[in-house]
Amino acid sequence: MERTTPDAAAPDTRPGVRASAGLPKALPKLDKREQPAAAREAVFKLRDVRVTYGGVAAVEEVTFDLLENEITAFIGPSGCGKSTLIRCLNRMNDLVPSARVAGTVLYHDQDLYAGDVDPVQVRKRIGMVFQKPNPFPKSIYENIAFGPRVLGMKGDMDEIVEGALRKGALWDEVKDRLKTNAFGMSGGQQQRLCIARTMAVEPDVILMDEPCSALDPISTGAIEELMLDLKRNYSIVIVTHNMQQAARVSDRTAFFNVDKLEEGKRVGKLVEFAPTEKIFTKPDDIRTEEYVTGKFG
Amino acid sequence: MAVAESAITRKVVERASGGQRTRDLLFRLSLLLCLFIAVLFLGVLLVDVVIDGAGFLSPHFVTSYPSRLTPDTSGVRSALLGTLYLMVLCGLFIVPVGVAAAVYLEEYADPTRWYNRLVEVNIQNLASVPSVVYGILGLAFIVRGPVDVWGLGEGQPTLLAGALTLGLLVLPVVIIVSREAIRAVPPSIREGSLALGATKWQTLWKQVLPGSIAGIATGVILALSRAIGETAPLILVGAGAFQLFDPKVDGPFSAMPIQIFNNVTESKPIFQELAAAAILVLLILLLLMNSAAIYLRNRYETKW
Amino acid sequence: MTEQRLQFQRQLADLELSALGGLDLVCEQLDRVIEALEHQDVELAQIVVADDDRLDGRYLEVHQGILSLLALQAPVAGDLRLVAALLHLIKHVERMGDQCVNVAKLIPLSGHEPPVQQEILSKTVQMGQFARAEVVQCKRSFAERDVQMAEDLLTRDVTVNRLNREIFRLAIEAGDDADVREWAMIMTLVARAFERIGDNAVDIGEQTAFVVTGLFREFSDASTAAARS
Repeated sequence: MERTTPDAAAPDTRPGVRASAGLPKALPKLDKREQPAAAREAVFKLRDVRVTYGGVAAVEEVTFDLLENEITAFIGPSGCGKSTLIRCLNRMNDLVPSARVAGTVLYHDQDLYAGDVDPVQVRKRIGMVFQKPNPFPKSIYENIAFGPRVLGMKGDMDEIVEGALRKGALWDEVKDRLKTNAFGMSGGQQQRLCIARTMAVEPDVILMDEPCSALDPISTGAIEELMLDLKRNYSIVIVTHNMQQAARVSDRTAFFNVDKLEEGKRVGKLVEFAPTEKIFTKPDDIRTEEYVTGKFG
Repeated sequence: MAVAESAITRKVVERASGGQRTRDLLFRLSLLLCLFIAVLFLGVLLVDVVIDGAGFLSPHFVTSYPSRLTPDTSGVRSALLGTLYLMVLCGLFIVPVGVAAAVYLEEYADPTRWYNRLVEVNIQNLASVPSVVYGILGLAFIVRGPVDVWGLGEGQPTLLAGALTLGLLVLPVVIIVSREAIRAVPPSIREGSLALGATKWQTLWKQVLPGSIAGIATGVILALSRAIGETAPLILVGAGAFQLFDPKVDGPFSAMPIQIFNNVTESKPIFQELAAAAILVLLILLLLMNSAAIYLRNRYETKW
Repeated sequence: MTEQRLQFQRQLADLELSALGGLDLVCEQLDRVIEALEHQDVELAQIVVADDDRLDGRYLEVHQGILSLLALQAPVAGDLRLVAALLHLIKHVERMGDQCVNVAKLIPLSGHEPPVQQEILSKTVQMGQFARAEVVQCKRSFAERDVQMAEDLLTRDVTVNRLNREIFRLAIEAGDDADVREWAMIMTLVARAFERIGDNAVDIGEQTAFVVTGLFREFSDASTAAARS
């Protein structure tokens, strides 16, 4: 007789056997559930990127493609260079005099660090939201209007402000007090204001460096929901210490680890870059496994 | 981890011992005593000045010229106008120069370069150089010598020279205070601005300076309050006293401290009273300026 | 690793031990039921039925432990696969226990002096012993995360299936006596229960492979031809 497996349709009614739903015949293989990402274009292509501060490498050997309309998470222990790397993507590292970026960073196949590239234009198209909400000490309206004004954007400022606040899921809450000082808002609202401010200049990519670490769980939830909504039209990269957050919101995750070199020096390296589901169910690298299960870090 | 129980911790709150309380009280009393002594001197001075000079205070006093010959109708007009003009000119000089220097040092200077470090160290030193030295500096370089003040005044002392000399005197203070105000603007504001695509210049002009303006203004007013009372540099630069004319920017001038000094050195007692009255006028002016500084700070300061 | 994480790892390990311990209980039950079968020991059979409560209790215990870990610790990657596998495993353990109870309940049905056909009886007892061996092997393979040992279970199960078919054929040819036929039918039911225990052991082997490789594969896919023979 063939080996039989109870199938879901016919409940087992033999005496002594507790009535229960049968096990499905076979689970779909995990790797088949990944959709090929060939359809999506790469927003960033990094090849062998290395960042040094005053000659000392902070992170190196970074090679991967970040895809459009996805949320990519950078995770890893402290000092692994994930914040350093994300700041390379919009040339914020230019502000640190001792920082040098080697390797190739391509944005839509254009070299971001080419000599004739204007960092101001880069930052217009690639926006950034920081860990601690940093609204300007001005009114909500002025906060949003600042970016478009300095960039000389044309258009009705009122409309631009409203549009940005709507995209930032803030319009309904603040539409009656646009002229009040932004400092009067709660932490979560301030962070959404910072996101809306970034969107006012019409970027293509939004970088987020631990955007929720200074917020309470409810504000965090609101921002995560906003992220999931935004990814339809923008590409998002998020650095996070919170693995559950990375698991909840991101499509793809990059795990960075700290390598200890001789003389007590440490350098960050990209260990694994894969769809988030894979990282959290069956990572390839043992170091990734140990990090996500909390065995270190 | 069990919290160890011990006999000592059984009492939740213990009263301070008698000796402890006496020591506390003595300490507080000694602090109050020190404060009292300091205030006492100030109080004595004020009372003395008020007793001597209050009699002469009147609108007439402020609008008439000082006179050696007719002390009863003497006033402080030329000196007061001189002081006011000096303050305005001084302010016009120190604000752009001081703020620009502060901006350079805070935003653009690479602190690892030797020349920047040299400047940093010396600003502190300059703030404590005796004012008479600034007077000599002013005489040598502004009134005469290489930086002859545009040939103005034809060898005569000029108000402009006095203003510039006083400006140099208080410039280090302005730079220091402006730097503090600029530094108080958190880097996150700059980062936020730059991340939106603003240039460094736009960030400075539209975010950093507006955010530090209250601090800078307060600093400038306090610097001017200091300058208002400086006598030595003005003497060396050629300020006069008992002038019977209004001062001109490119001509001879007087100032309150000079006038007070000259009044005091006169022999007749009435001049002491005139001096006291002039001191009161100066004090009132100082009070107004400091109040303005406090008001500005409280009203416009950004609490980060 | 933080203290909290160490505790979690300990909890997970304890949960695994508890679940695998269920397989030991199954072996005990199997031993008793086989002996009861051999000697037509109705009282022993009753003990088996009563003792199933222990297995049910073990099931609830492990199930609750798993829910708690999932809710409070949010396991991921290898830990998550282990937790998911334990959930399946304890279900199989409970099923195995129920099959033992099924056999135990069948024993008194054949009466105090059943017309035993030695061939059928010995083959049935043999099936039971093979099933027991499979249970022991699946436990070892899971505890040691040995995928090869797990796959080997299928080969053993083939033997058990073969015995099942033989018993069935023998029962058909049991003879004209109604009592004998009745007894033979009961034996086929016993055999089926043992065969089911074997299947559950193979399923546990599949879980072992899942924990190790992250892929869920039905073993019969690999050797369907062999199973048919």
